[in-house]
Parts: sequence; C-alpha cells; structure tokens
Amino acid sequence: MTLLSVKNLYVFIEDKQVDLLGPISFSLELGENLTIMGETGAGKSLIAQAILGSLPTGLKSRGDILLKGEAIDNLSPKKRAALWGDIITALPQEPWLSLDPLMRSGQQVAETHRYFKSYNWKEAKKQTEQQFKKLDLSDTAQKRPFQLSGGMAQRVAFAAATAGDAELLLADEPTKGLDSHRHDKILSLLKAIPQKGDSLLTITHDLDLAYALGGKIIILKNGKIVEEGITHTVLSSPKASYTQALCAANPSSWPPLSSCTISSKENILVQSEKLRIGRNKIAFIKGLDFCLKAGESLAISGPSGIGKTSLLDTIIGSIKPMGGTLTRAEHIGKWEIQKLYQDPPTAFPPLISLKDNFKAVTKKHKMAWDQLLQLLENVELDASILERRPSNVSGGELQRLSFIRALIAKPKILLADEPTSRLDLITQETCLNLLKKLCREENIGIILVTHNQHIAEKWAHNHIDLNQFCV
Amino acid sequence: MIFFASYSPLKLYRKIGLSRSIGLGLLSIIIISTVIGPDLVGHDPAKQDLLHARQMPNAVHLLGTDHLGRDMAARLLSGARLSLSLGILSLVTAAFLGISLGIIAAWFGTWTDRFLTSFADAILALPGLLLVLILMASAPGSWWLLYIGISLTLWVEFFRYTRQRSRIILAHPSVDASKNLGLSNYFILTRHIFPELRNGLFTISAFGIASAITAIAALGFVSVGIRPPMAEWGLMMTQLLPYWREAPFLILQPIICLVLTILSLHLSVGGFHKK
Amino acid sequence: MYKKLIAALLKRGLQALIVALIVGLVSFAMMQALPGDAAFRIAAGRYGYDLMDAAAAEAVRQELGLDRHWSLQLFDWLKALAQFNLGESFIYRGSVSEKIAVQLGHTLTLSLSALFVSILIAFPIGIYTGLNPNGWADKFFLQLSIFVRAIPPFAVGLTLVLIFSVHLKLFPVAGFRSFHHLILPAFTLGIGMAAVSNRVIRDSVLEAMHSDWQLFSRIKGLPSGLTLRAHVLRNAALPSVTYIGVQMAYLIEGVVIIETLFAWPGIGHALIHAIFGRDIAMVQGTALTLGLIYVGLNLVIDFLCSFIDPRSAKS
Repeated sequence: MTLLSVKNLYVFIEDKQVDLLGPISFSLELGENLTIMGETGAGKSLIAQAILGSLPTGLKSRGDILLKGEAIDNLSPKKRAALWGDIITALPQEPWLSLDPLMRSGQQVAETHRYFKSYNWKEAKKQTEQQFKKLDLSDTAQKRPFQLSGGMAQRVAFAAATAGDAELLLADEPTKGLDSHRHDKILSLLKAIPQKGDSLLTITHDLDLAYALGGKIIILKNGKIVEEGITHTVLSSPKASYTQALCAANPSSWPPLSSCTISSKENILVQSEKLRIGRNKIAFIKGLDFCLKAGESLAISGPSGIGKTSLLDTIIGSIKPMGGTLTRAEHIGKWEIQKLYQDPPTAFPPLISLKDNFKAVTKKHKMAWDQLLQLLENVELDASILERRPSNVSGGELQRLSFIRALIAKPKILLADEPTSRLDLITQETCLNLLKKLCREENIGIILVTHNQHIAEKWAHNHIDLNQFCV
Repeated sequence: MIFFASYSPLKLYRKIGLSRSIGLGLLSIIIISTVIGPDLVGHDPAKQDLLHARQMPNAVHLLGTDHLGRDMAARLLSGARLSLSLGILSLVTAAFLGISLGIIAAWFGTWTDRFLTSFADAILALPGLLLVLILMASAPGSWWLLYIGISLTLWVEFFRYTRQRSRIILAHPSVDASKNLGLSNYFILTRHIFPELRNGLFTISAFGIASAITAIAALGFVSVGIRPPMAEWGLMMTQLLPYWREAPFLILQPIICLVLTILSLHLSVGGFHKK
Repeated sequence: MYKKLIAALLKRGLQALIVALIVGLVSFAMMQALPGDAAFRIAAGRYGYDLMDAAAAEAVRQELGLDRHWSLQLFDWLKALAQFNLGESFIYRGSVSEKIAVQLGHTLTLSLSALFVSILIAFPIGIYTGLNPNGWADKFFLQLSIFVRAIPPFAVGLTLVLIFSVHLKLFPVAGFRSFHHLILPAFTLGIGMAAVSNRVIRDSVLEAMHSDWQLFSRIKGLPSGLTLRAHVLRNAALPSVTYIGVQMAYLIEGVVIIETLFAWPGIGHALIHAIFGRDIAMVQGTALTLGLIYVGLNLVIDFLCSFIDPRSAKS
C-alpha cells in the first residue's frame, strides 16, 4: 500500500515567487525505506517540512502530497497538525534544541504516551520506562536535556517522536554532529523502522548512512532530482555525473595515497617525545611521539573530546606540555605557524569586508597586493569576492580564502583543525586536495586534525590515532 | 555611523524606518531650539513680573507666564539647556569610563576583571536614583554632585555591556586568527570589537541620556536637585502644581517637554530597550 | 548548585556592606557639613528655638560626642551603624528604628500593590501579543508601551492626579486613610512597570512559540493547547520572573518619588522629608533600609531563579 506519494512538489518564496526546489516526485510504500541525498544548504530539509506542513513563514509549497491516497497539501494547518504523531512524525535535526529545556526527559516522552493512548500517568510512565530500557536510556528519565549528551538527547527525541506509533518517520540529518560510535547506534534504530512495517524517509548528506540504510534513494542537486533507484545500485554504479562526483568524493572511496616523495627529508620542523597534554592540570593524552618534516603531512584522528584541539594549542605554544618534550625547529619565526579553523565563517572578523582584513594581513607581512591577487587566481577565486563580508561568501570559498590568508604569513607549519567538517563532500575533496598541493609547493609541513578515519588514512603521509594515547 | 551614512532624508527614512525617523526628527528640533531658542525668545528666564503672573500664551509671552510672571518659554528652554547639557556631559563621562574599563576588564581578565566587576557590582548595590539622592543629601542643589552622581550610575551599564560583549568577541576564533597572523591590538580593537559594540552602545547612550534627564527632573520634583530660582523642568512642575485649576496649561508645559525629550531619545534608537 | 548560591550570598553580602558604608559615610559627611554649631542646631531642631539654651546644646554635644576629632566621630558613627543602632531622629522624638518599622509597612503595602497591578496588566497583554505577533493589538501595545515608558513615574503620577483626582474627583489626591488612597500611587508604579514587562513577556512567549522544542512537541503529537500549557508558558515564565527582579530598581526608585507625590507615609517619603529637614539620623536610617531591602530582594531573586531554572545551577 502506498503510504506517501509526492508529485511535482515545489517549495517557493511566497513574495518573490522564486522556486527553492522542485520538481520532486516520489512514492513511499508502507514498510519501505527512502533516502533523499544532496549537498548541505540545498534545501533538502524543506521537503520534510513541506510534507509535515511546517514550512517557515514566507515559504509555500505547491504540487500534490497524498497520504494514504488522500491529498493533505490543501488541508488547514489545524487538520495537518492532527496527523502529527499519529500518522506522520519526525526526528528533529537538533535533538538538543528540540527537547523542552526545563522538563525531565522521561516526562517529555510520557506525556506523549498519555495523550495518545489515554493512559493514566502511571501507565504512561511505565510505557516510557520500557521504551527507555530498549534505547539504553535507563538512567536518563530524571535528567533534563542540558544534562544529556548529543547521542542521548537524540534517543530521547526518538522515543518521544515514536511514542504515538506513527506509520511514517521523517529523519532530517539524523547523524549531524555525531561521531562514528553514536552514528552506528542511531543507524540501528532507523533500520528497525521498516522492519517493523512502518516507513522511513531519511534526508541526509551522509553517503555512508545512505548506503547502510539501503532501500531506495533519490539524489538531489540544486533542488532537482538527478538520479533515483535502489540505493546499493545507485551508489555502486552511479550514472549521473553529479552522483559519480559525489561517490568519488567520499573519503572512504578515495584512492590510497601514492608513494610519497618528500623533498627535504632531513628538515624536521617539530618533534615530540613522550608528550603529555592537558588543560587545568587534567591530562588527556600521554606518551605521544611524532615528527613533522617540511613538505610533509600528518593527520591526527580521534573521537570528539579526546584532546585534539589541546594538542594543536600545545604545538603552537599557547598551552604548555604537562610532560615529555616538544621541540620546534629554531628557524621557525613567530608568525610561521599558522592555523586553519573548523568553521570558516568564524575565522574572519564578521563586520568588516574581507578586503579590510586582507589589507591588514598583507601589510603586516609585506606582501604586494598583486601577489595576493595572483594567489587568489591560483585557487580560482575572483578578486571581487574581497569586497564582501564573510557572511556573504560560501563556506568552501571562505575556507580557500583562509588558506590564502595563512599563506600570506609564509608559514612553515600549518595546523588545520577539522577544516572541512562543515563542508560538502565534493567541496571537502576540492579543499583538501588544494591544501595538499599548496603545502607541497610551498614546502609547508601540515598537521590535519580530523574525526574521519578515511581522510586520516588516505590523505596524509603519516597518521596518528589518538585513541592509542588516551589517558 | 548609520546616522550620517546617508545624506538624503528619504534614504535615511527607508533605512531606519518610521519611528526612528520621527525620534531623530524630534530630537533635532529639541536640540536646535535648545541651542538657538533662548536668543529668539529674548526674555530673561529669571525676571519676575508679578503684575503679569499666570498669563495665557500671547504675542509677548509665547507660552504665557508662571506664578511669578516669568516667561514660560524662556524658562522651559533654559531648563532644556540645563537638562540636556548635564545629561550629555554625564553620559560622555560615563561612556568613556564604562567602555574603556569594560574593554580593559575583558582584555586582561583574571584579577583586573574581578576587581572592576566587583566595583560595578558595588555601584549596583543601590538603585541609581537612590544613590544620586543620597549623594545629593549631603549638599542639596550642588551641580557637581549631581554630575558625579549621575555619571557614577550611568557608567555601569556601559561597562557591563562592553565587558560582556568584548569577552565573547575576544573568545571568537577570528580574534585568535588575527592574533596568530600578527595583526595589532589596534586592529582587534577597531575591526573586531568596535563594529560589534556600536549599535548596542548607541542604544545604551540614548537611554542613558534619557534616564539622566529623568533623574534630574525627579530630583528637582522632590526639591533635592537643582535649586530655585534656576529653571528646571521637575522643579517647575512642583512650583506650578498649586495653580493647576487656574492655569492648567502651565504645569502641562514642563511635563510635555520632558516626555517629548525622552520619547525622542527612545525612538531615535528604535523605541525599546529592556532595562 | 550550592556553590552558585554561596557565590550569590557572598556577592549580596558584600553589596549590603557597601550600602551601609556609602550611607554611613554620606550621612557623616552631612553631619560635618552642617553650618554653624552642629550641637546648637540639633538641640534647636529637637526642642525648638524658644525652649533651648546653651545648656541644652552642651547636653547634645556631650551626648553625641561632637567635640572630638572627626575621625573618632566617624569611627563611632560606623560602629553604631554596625550595631544597628540608628539613633534618634533629630526632629521628631523617638528612635529612628521605631519610625522606620511603621513606615516599612506602608512602603511594602504600596510596593506589593504596585507589583500586583503590573502583573495583572502585563501578563494578559504580554501573553496575548506574544501568541498573536504583528497583529493590531501587538502594534498598538508596542506603541503604547513606548509612550508610557517615556513618561517618568512622577509625571505619570502627576497626570493621573490631574485627571482622576482634580478633574474627575474619583480618588483622593494624597494621604493614606483608606483603600482609595492606595489606588492612584499603586497604579502609577504598576503602569510604569507593566509598560516594559508586557513586552518582555511578549518576547519570551514569542521566542518559546518559535523554538524547536515547541514545534517538536507538536510533531510528536501534542495538541496546541497542551503544548502551550505544558511547555510554552512554563518556559516563558522564566525570563518574565527574572525580569520582575530587574524591575526592583525601578520599584525602589519609584517608591521614593511617588510616596512624596502622594504624601504616602512610607520610607521614601520619610527619606525625602529627612533630606529636606537635614534630619541626618533619619536620612541614614531610611536610606539604609531602602538599600538593604533592594539587596535583599535581589538575593531572593537569585535564589528563585536557580530554583526555577535548573540550568543556571550548572553554568
């Protein structure tokens, strides 16, 4: 039986009559599993919002949305809201922000049970307890959202969303901000939905998640469908050029690093022995030995919170090692260790033009303006981009600009803290390749911090897994 | 400086909206008449004329005369001069102190921050008006004490805002990036901190002048502030209250002046500030 | 949790000390600044010019120790303050503490009534406009709030007196004999507070209605009424209560001026009266009481906030 069918769906800005996405058509059978895949910022979430009927003010949808054969797109907001929880439900993108900050998490789930099944409180609490047990949340019922980790908050949200036993679950970027361990946990929860006979519609930019979920897939580009079919078929032999590029850009399918040729083998920039690192007298990492030579790349990987950022701060000298030795080559000057930041928009002063910023940096490091324009040309950026403020420039462009800005200081070492984790797969690959090329050309030693094992293994000459040095 | 960025009034109106335009327009009228008005009116605000007391507005006395026959227009303008100049002077003092100490506290942190914050907390131990009132108690009518008292209560908000915003800005990765690139502290101050503080400081300033003017009038009203025979709005209200029945237009004048001045200041920065 | 409360206690304790110190120093300075022979003046104030003579002045001098060096006097002055010995009024017979105990009751009656009026006005308007943002009511109350906000409390009071007492003769102008006397001053202060707090409540309701958790509560299946009751209002109440704390400064300032306008025999009225009559002991007593009430109220609000909002205990 067809549960949901969408025909020629468009989402547009009401005042300007500008289409943000469309046409989108698909249908979803009961017990089926569909993934919609596309780059970030392409408005994928709008599809989920259009189906739910919760588009932000100013946005409207047109086209047909049929639920169990009945048109729901022209129902009044009140009637659409009556479907929520009962027939359609959704797993929120930001689980932390989606739970009432003042209410204990058990209560937030129990109130849904109580409402849907007209239980008394006692019965509803019992139901919640059972559900929490299944989800590994036994101690969580009395905690409030601020006391939960990201993964726990997501499971509480999952429990609340599915308490009404809705037939259709919309999951919008369910793995956003989760590391691989938590990634697997949410995956198994999602996989259980079709097995139970309900339907799952997942919206994601995470190729690994899409592959693991299986079922059907739709690939979106610029708000339009470029390819659709059985997930495993589409992803293993993609036809559309965009899908091919997407699959190739996924770090897990990158070619292994070809034999490396390091120009100056003896030129050691920084070296550590039995390094012990921590903050406020609490050690995170111990017994770390590494060595970085000019023109070489070193990747450091590990889950969030293991102390990757503290390690970088130690290398740059802003915190002192707690033990062991860290030696920087003497010829490295004050400004010759440069950094790249995780979130490109936060790395530039937000209220002045980029030109203002670059003028100051070139002046400080005595670089001619023409030379800067040449650098921009090398990374395929137009000089006119400098007239804008950081908020009007895309993340990928901004990250390239921050490479350039770091290069002005003629660094010998470049420390990159998750520089591409907020970027799309394709942009990520372009950026990382560019970074590697520039560092090789300028003979810069680079340390890349990443939580992605594949990038760590396939991109850098050397790889350190911090899990082995954890205190 | 959003106010001066566009020169044509129409452009400005489109940029800042109706209520701010009204506020700025009203404020300009008040300031201009305060500066040139006393000469245009031509009367001495202190000159009594008991034979012509409590006159209705007429050709000689545009807004009538008070219970002692003094020209109301001249007195209102003289009151405006007093309130505005004292308000602006206290504000400039407070803003200078508050902003610089706020940045110093945020920049150096540790004990400097702790010391300055405790100092601000100490000032906040008393509600602003009460502090000025108690200070004024030791020398009623003293202009200097009024100036010091008002500045003392106003600087705290500048300090707290500047310190809190600057702390957030200084912890931002972009500041770390600029420091790492070797950019000067001057760059961080003028390109990172000031642009972010600007709008908030405008709002605090407008509301600060408004509350200074209110405080001056309130103290005058309870006869603890500026002393007669000086013309001051709050004082005028007290003096004219007994004549409400015979000459209602008299007491309404200082009230309207005070309300319009405060309203124009509030509106010029968008009308609302939750303090 | 306890750490936070202890920090609040310390901070407010320090503030209380500072209030005492400022008030003590200022009133001592007033004492020194009295023109002519202080003892003579005080005696005259106490007994009247007709009934006093050099002997009475000398008695006062001995009693207050006015012939010693000023630093010793200051030390004694602050010591008496630390022992909560506020002394005797210079003008009225009787101890300052007794006077203040009576006035405090009146001031509290007025303040609580004003607070009640403000809550009665602000919450319905704030909740309604927050649930219907950008409607005509929202726009109307925004403009009205801006306008009322621009009128200082004493001008509000004056206007209310002119309209309701003098013109319409509905309420008495001043005094405090009956409930009728309470209405105008309580409304004067209440309206002023409500002018701002209704917008704060409106904004917090609006923010709650636009929050992710509000939408998720609907999506997991709860109807709008239940979501409003169980989640939105509860969360919106928090900043609203905190804001009422912020308004305590307005209330204390307002009380001083409004009591004077309406001749309401509370502490504020007494303070202004004492400043006017150079009754230094009364200035010190009343200012100290008002300042300590303010610090105390802030402490109560600190505790209340960490009690309502479990998050604040963490950060």
